[in-house]
Amino acid sequence: MFSLMKAAVGGLTGVCRVNGYKQGPLLCHLKVLVAGLQTYEIPPDYSDVVLPAKPKLKFMNKVPNLKRPRREPKKLRDIQGPTKGADSFTTGQYGIVALGGGYLHWGHIEMIRLTINRKMDARTMFAQWCINGPYKPITRKSLGQRMGGGKGAINHYVTPVRYGRLIVEVGGKVELGEVQHILTEVAKKLPFPAQVVSRESLEAMKKKQADMEQNNQNPWTFKQIVRGNMLGVRRVVSPFDVHHSGRFSGKFHFPGRV
Amino acid sequence: MHHASIVTSGITFFLLKMAATLCGKLLHKQGWLPVIQSVRHGSKAVTRHRKPVHILKQKLLAVTQYVPPTQVVPKGAYPSERQEVKEESSFVLLLKRELKKLFQDYKMVAVVQNCNSNAEDMRTLKHRLHRHGITVKFFPNQVMHSFLHDSVYSNMAPLFIGPTVLFVSKEPKAKEMLTSLRSSPQMTLLGACIDDTLLSAQGVVSYSKLPSVNVVQGELVSGLTMMTAHTASMLQRHPAHLSALLQQYVKQQSSEEAPKAEEAT
Repeated sequence: MFSLMKAAVGGLTGVCRVNGYKQGPLLCHLKVLVAGLQTYEIPPDYSDVVLPAKPKLKFMNKVPNLKRPRREPKKLRDIQGPTKGADSFTTGQYGIVALGGGYLHWGHIEMIRLTINRKMDARTMFAQWCINGPYKPITRKSLGQRMGGGKGAINHYVTPVRYGRLIVEVGGKVELGEVQHILTEVAKKLPFPAQVVSRESLEAMKKKQADMEQNNQNPWTFKQIVRGNMLGVRRVVSPFDVHHSGRFSGKFHFPGRV
Repeated sequence: MHHASIVTSGITFFLLKMAATLCGKLLHKQGWLPVIQSVRHGSKAVTRHRKPVHILKQKLLAVTQYVPPTQVVPKGAYPSERQEVKEESSFVLLLKRELKKLFQDYKMVAVVQNCNSNAEDMRTLKHRLHRHGITVKFFPNQVMHSFLHDSVYSNMAPLFIGPTVLFVSKEPKAKEMLTSLRSSPQMTLLGACIDDTLLSAQGVVSYSKLPSVNVVQGELVSGLTMMTAHTASMLQRHPAHLSALLQQYVKQQSSEEAPKAEEAT
């Protein structure tokens, strides 16, 4: 009990001793008087954050090492619609999320890697890929070739990205403000619309969509009309639209749709 | 005429030759294939541009648009019903502890407003007050209000508006404080809490005009013992004088009784 009191008194005197020379009846007029009270935000605690051994983004190959690369059909449906996976954070805190579909080729990947590796501080933050290296072969016919004559040769490889997929994750002993300018630079140069998100903002985005679906005051919904084939709309609505309730069209996503 | 026919035949021969080179690969296979092949293809679902949407689908999308819930009251028009409980920082808690100690230790707590007083004036005032044992304390109004709200002295809250200073002392020395305040025109006394009683500025002035406790005690004691002291002094006089006085008193008593008896009858 006495030790506690001593500690409390000691603490008080310790605090007052900060401006020791300003105490006393003669010199305490030197105190700065303010109208309000300055409260300081306690900075976040990063003691439980573990940085990996290699904090920078890995180099990705331009071409996957296959013995016999096969030519694949275009299959543009790998861009259509929302992602199946990789739409949430694993180890990082901040990332770039794709708001549309598109193909990332090696040039984009190199741009991301170089920009982030150059601008980040390896001592306090780390970055991680959320996409694979290019694996889908894209064929091209040589210049001036007429139509026909079979499928062209493999020109390059790409990574398909759908709406809602995370591209790159950044984490460590940093706040969003320190990382945002790096990630926005990268996000602007991607071939699809992209946004910088943190864990909380991604949750907020998903929650907002769920809330919109719940508190929609419109008595008519896309699902209801299409399921009942009212006015014969199934004639103009594709099975893809039926599945995704008109929120997507090709690689584009409509944010206002519910 | 002959010339024209040769030219036309030449042209047709050239066209045939061209056709032969084009369909060379095709004609190598067995069977006959037409020169011109029309290929039917559907449009792709995934395009770089926004595909034109059928009018019926446009209508469907227009009808099934998102309609947000209507807000009768716009956001921010009225304050929220739930009071946001703000966690106070440890510095604020420390100040509150100091205030509590202050109200416990010091008997007189006066609130004074200072409008643009120099550091020099402040220093001289503090020196003068220190001689009488009055200390000057500064606390932010926010902390003061939150402390007073929970304590017994909640009625003091209206005093703490604007740039206020606290004059505290262990002995309630109102007169000395008023004299020092009269010399500095910038400081205006707003009120005080002396011995757990709230006083306004006029109240403090009248409090200062009161005689000291000793004087009052003396007066009280003298008032109580006036009668006994009077009798004691009387008894100490000369016995002859005393006897004369007593006779006079008896005569007076009898004279009073007689008219009273007459009035009664």
